[in-house]
Amino acid sequence: MPVLKNRVAFEVARGIKAFLNVELGLIRGETPGAESGLTDAKADTREKDTRVRQLGQIGRRLAGRARTVAEPAAGDGAQDNRVRPENMIWIFGSGRSGSTWLRSMMSDMERHRVWEEPMVGQLFGVFHKQAQEGQLRSANFIMGEPTRKGWTRSIRNFVLDGAHYANPRLGPDDYLVVKEPNGSTGAPLLMEALPESRMILLVRDPRDVAASVLDGARKGSWLYERKDKGRWKENALADTNPEAITRRRANMYMTQVGNARDAYEAHEGPKVLVRYEELRADTLETMKRIYSELGIPAGDKDLTRVVEKHSWENIPEENKGEGKFYRKATPGGWREDLTPKQAGIVEKITAPLLEEFYPA
Amino acid sequence: MPVYRQNILLEVARGIKAFLNFEAGLTRGPTPGEGGGIQSLEEAHKRLEDRNRQIAELEKKVRESRSDAPAGDLKPENVVWMFGTARVGSTWLGSMMDEPTGHTMWHEPLVGALFGGFYYGRGAHRGGKHGILGGPDEKRSRAIRAFILASAHEKFPEVSGDGYLVVKEPNGSNGAPLLAQALPESRMIFLVRDPRDVVSSNLSGKSEGGWTAEAYKRGRRQGTPPPSDPKAIVRKGAKKYLEFIGRSKEAYDAHEGPKVLVRYEELRADTLGTMKRIYSELGIPMDEDEVARAIKKHSWENIPEEKKGEGKFYRKATPGGWREDLTPDQIQMVEDITGPLLQEFYPEQQISRAGV
Repeated sequence: MPVLKNRVAFEVARGIKAFLNVELGLIRGETPGAESGLTDAKADTREKDTRVRQLGQIGRRLAGRARTVAEPAAGDGAQDNRVRPENMIWIFGSGRSGSTWLRSMMSDMERHRVWEEPMVGQLFGVFHKQAQEGQLRSANFIMGEPTRKGWTRSIRNFVLDGAHYANPRLGPDDYLVVKEPNGSTGAPLLMEALPESRMILLVRDPRDVAASVLDGARKGSWLYERKDKGRWKENALADTNPEAITRRRANMYMTQVGNARDAYEAHEGPKVLVRYEELRADTLETMKRIYSELGIPAGDKDLTRVVEKHSWENIPEENKGEGKFYRKATPGGWREDLTPKQAGIVEKITAPLLEEFYPA
Repeated sequence: MPVYRQNILLEVARGIKAFLNFEAGLTRGPTPGEGGGIQSLEEAHKRLEDRNRQIAELEKKVRESRSDAPAGDLKPENVVWMFGTARVGSTWLGSMMDEPTGHTMWHEPLVGALFGGFYYGRGAHRGGKHGILGGPDEKRSRAIRAFILASAHEKFPEVSGDGYLVVKEPNGSNGAPLLAQALPESRMIFLVRDPRDVVSSNLSGKSEGGWTAEAYKRGRRQGTPPPSDPKAIVRKGAKKYLEFIGRSKEAYDAHEGPKVLVRYEELRADTLGTMKRIYSELGIPMDEDEVARAIKKHSWENIPEEKKGEGKFYRKATPGGWREDLTPDQIQMVEDITGPLLQEFYPEQQISRAGV
C-alpha cells in the first residue's frame, strides 16, 4: 500500500532543533503510528531520554552547589583556625552605654580584633523570648527545652562559625571583642553556649540612656537620620510623643540589661561589671581593672596609649554635641535633658535595675 | 520542549484505512521521527530498559551529590520541606506523609521563623559582613545548614540511611528561601490554598469562641491575643498569606532539588492521585497500599464529629467555602492584598471584585 513519509529537522538555536514529521498513506491493518504500541514506546523512550538529560544536569548542579554550601571555601581555614571561645570577650548591656568607646579602646590593644554588633544575641534571644510556653515545652520546637542541650551546642557552633567568617584573619591567640549591647536579650543563651568566654557587663544609668536616645531620635539627629526602617521617621516619636519613646526605651533597657545581668550572674568564666560612670571618671584605672578581672595581660603603657587615643577630648569638636552620636558624655546629664515626667517613667520601669546598680 | 502530535485514521474501503500522522515541535535531543533509529517494538523496549537503568543510576548519583554527612547520617537530600502558610492543610498532608515506613515528620520546628524573621524582618542587620546573617550567601547558608542538620540529628537520631524527614514548616515559611539555600539538595513541597479560604479559616479560629481565641483565653497561648475586630483579623491574615506564600514561592522557584507544587483543592479532590504525584515528583519511592492506608486513616470522614465544625481546628475542609463565610468587603480586602498570588495559583478563579 502506498505510504508517504517526510521528515524535516533544522537547528533553530544552539542545541535546539525544530522538526516536522509527516506520514500518510493507505494501509490494511494497523496504521504505522499505532502499530503494536510502537508510537507509545517511542514516546516513552523520548521522555526517558529527556529525563536522563535532566537528571544529568541536576546531578552536576547539585553536586556543585552542595559542595559550595557544605565545605569551607578555599582560604576559609579549617575548623581549628576558628576563634578560641575563651578568647572571645563579650560586651553586653544596652545601647548608649559607652560600648562603642570601650570597644574602640580595646580594639587598639595588641592582638585584639572586633566583631561589631553581630546581633546574634538578638537572633536567638528575641526568638526564644517570644516563644509560647507550649512551644518551649515541645521537643519539636527548634529551641524547645527537651532538646536544649542540643541547640545550645548548635548555637555555640553557629557563633564560632560566624565569628570566623566575619574575622577570617583572626589568629589562634588573638582576642575577639564582641560588641553586642543590642543583642543582650540573648546574653544568657550565648553565655550558656560559650561558658569559657569572657564577659563585660557594661551598665549606665537608665535615665542617661533614655536622654541620649531621645536626643538622637529627634528630627535631624543621628539616630533619626540613620533609622529609615519601620515607622521610626513617620512616627517621629521623640518630637511628637517623647513619653512614648521614653517608655519604650526604658522597657528595652529592662530586657537588655536585665538579661545581661542574668547572664553575668550565671557565667562562670572570667567576667567584669563596669559602670559607664566609673569608666568616664577614671578611664585608665577602670581599664586596668577590666583586663585584670578578665585575666588578660595588658601593659600600663598600652592601656595609657589607648585611653589617650580614644579620650573624649580627642574626638573632633565638630563630631560632638546635641543631636550627634558623641553627645555630652556627662553622667547625670539626664537632670537637664529629661522632664520630671520622663525621668519618672524611666525610674518606674527600670526600678529593680536602678536600685541594684545605682542605689540612692 | 513543545511538541504537537496528531494521528488521523479513517476507513476508506472495507479493510483499507487512510492515515495521517503529523508531528511538529522543538527538541534538544534526537528528533522524534528518528526515534533514535528505533524500528521495532522489541528495539523500543530494549531502549526503554536501557534508559530506565540509566535513570536509576543518575537518581542515585543525584542522591549522592551531597558532599557532607551530618553526625547522625541524616541525608540532607532526604529532608522534605513542607512550606506554605497556616491553614492550607499541612497538618493533614504531614500526617499522611508521617505514616509510611521510614518516614518521620518534624512538626513545626519553626527554624524558618527563627532565621527568616530575623533576616527579612530585621533586614537592617543583614547587610554588613559583621552581621551574623550578613556577608556572602554561602557563608550564611553554611552556618544555617550546620545548625539545621545538627538540630535534626539531636531530635531524630533514628532517621538515617534511607529514612526521610518531612519537616512541616508552614509557620516558618517566612524563612523558606534561607532554608532551601542552605540545603539545596533537599526536597520541597509547596502547599498552597485559595487565600480566601485560608483567611476564612483564620477568621473562624480567631473569632470569639474559636480555637485560637480560646487558646489565648485559657492561657495555652501567651502574648498579645488576636484582634477581635473581624476586619483586622482578615487584613492580618491576608498579609501573612502574602508574606509566607510569597517567600515559599521565592524558595520554590529558586530551588534546584526535587520539588512539587500542590494545591490543597486537588489534594481534597483526588487525594491518592495527588499523593502519588507528590512522591513521584519528589523522586521518593512509595508503596501504594501503604499510602492508601494513610489516606484512609487521616480522611476527613475519620475525624470524630465532635472535633469538627465552625471555630474548631478541623473546620469544614470545603474548597470555596469562603463564599459563604466572608462578607463582600472581606473578600475584597483579601483579593486586594493577595491579588498577585491569587492570580498566579488560581487563575481559573475569577477575582470576585467584592460581593459577586
